[in-house]
Amino acid sequence: MGTPETSRQPCPDRILDDAGGAFGMGAIGGGAYHFFKGIYNSPRGARLSGASQAIRMNAPRVGGGFAVWGGVFSTFDCALVHIRKKEDPWNSIISGAATGGFLQMRQGLGATARSAAVGGMFLALIEGAGIIVGKCMEQKQNEMAIAAGMHGLPGPEAVGSDGSSSGGSWLGGWFGKGKEAEAAGSGSETKVLESFDAPPVPSFEFK
Amino acid sequence: MSQPMSSDHDHNNSDAVPTRLYNPYQDLQVPIQNLYHLPTSPEFLFVEEARRQRRSWGENLTFYTGCTYLAGAVGGGSVGLVSGVRSFESGDTTKLRINRVLNSSGHTGRVWANRLGVIGLLYAGMESGVQALRDTDDVWNSVAAGLGTGAVYRAARGVRSAAVAGAVGGVLVGVAVAAKQGLKRYVPI
Repeated sequence: MGTPETSRQPCPDRILDDAGGAFGMGAIGGGAYHFFKGIYNSPRGARLSGASQAIRMNAPRVGGGFAVWGGVFSTFDCALVHIRKKEDPWNSIISGAATGGFLQMRQGLGATARSAAVGGMFLALIEGAGIIVGKCMEQKQNEMAIAAGMHGLPGPEAVGSDGSSSGGSWLGGWFGKGKEAEAAGSGSETKVLESFDAPPVPSFEFK
Repeated sequence: MSQPMSSDHDHNNSDAVPTRLYNPYQDLQVPIQNLYHLPTSPEFLFVEEARRQRRSWGENLTFYTGCTYLAGAVGGGSVGLVSGVRSFESGDTTKLRINRVLNSSGHTGRVWANRLGVIGLLYAGMESGVQALRDTDDVWNSVAAGLGTGAVYRAARGVRSAAVAGAVGGVLVGVAVAAKQGLKRYVPI
C-alpha cells in the first residue's frame, strides 16, 4: 500500500488545511483571472483601478466557492477514513462524488446525481494520474538502482505515498512543505564510486 | 498431600490482593533504561539550521486561511440562522421554513466567511513574507503582518481608512499574541 501519508495533517486538522488551501488557490487564481479581465474591460486611464475593483468584487467569491468544495470534500474524506480505517484512493473518489452530490442537493435528484457523477469521475482521473505518476517514479528509481548495482529493490514499498497522497496532494501538496525532505523512495541509494574497482563485498563470517 | 500453590490466594481472599512491583527487565542485561532517558541534545547538527526550522509558508497559509474561513462560516451561519428563524411567518410550511433558514444562513455565512478568509489569507501571506525577509521568528513579524493586512484590506477606501485599519490590525494581533503567551504560561490547561 506504500508508506502512510505523512505530509498532511491528521484528520480533523486536515479539513482546516484543505479549506484554507482551496480558498487560497481560488482567491489567488480568481484574483489573477479577474485582474486581467478587469484590465481588459476598463477604459484607458482607469485600467488599474478597474482591475483592482474587479478583484475586490470577484476574488473572495471565487475563493469561497473553492473553499466550500475543498472543505466539504475533506470532511467526507475524513469521515471515510474514520469509517474504513484506511487511506487509499477510493476514499478520495467516493468523497468527490459525495461532495458533488451534496453541493447540488437543493436542485433536486437529477442535478445531484449528475454532479456526483462528474465529481467522482474528476477525482478518479486525478487519482489515476497520481498512481501512474507514482508508478513511473518507482520504475525510474528501480532502473537507477539496478544500474548502480543493487539487486532486489523492495518494490511497492519504495514508492512512498502514491495512492493515499494523490487525493490530497493536488490540494495540499501545492503549497511548499518547507524543509520536508523529498522522499526519494528507497532510502538506500548507492553512491557512484570514483574508482573502477568494485567495493569489497561484505562477508558475513564472524572474524 | 501437598499444599496447593494457591494457598496464598485463599488466605488473603480479601478485596486487596497483596502485590509486589515487578520489573520485567530485572534479569535482562540490556541497556533498556536508556529507552526512558531521552537525549536533550538538539535534533539538528547545526544551531543555524535548528534556528531556521519553522512553519513553511504553505502550512502557515493553509492553516490561517482555513481557520478564519471556517470561523467566518460558522459565525455567519449562526447569525444567519437566527435571522432566518426570526423571519418565519405564520402559515409557513416546513419546506418553506427550511428554505428560509438555508437561504439566510447560507448567504450570511458565505459573506462573513469570504471576508474573514481574505483577511486570513492576507495575514498569513504577509507573516510568511516578513518572516522570510527578517529571517527571524518573533512577535514583530505578526504585528507587522497585522498592520499590513489592515492597510491592504481597507486600501480602497482611502489612505486614512487604510491607516486606521492597519493600526487596528496591528493592535489586535499584538493583543492576540500577548494573550496567547499569557494563556500558555499562566493558565493551567
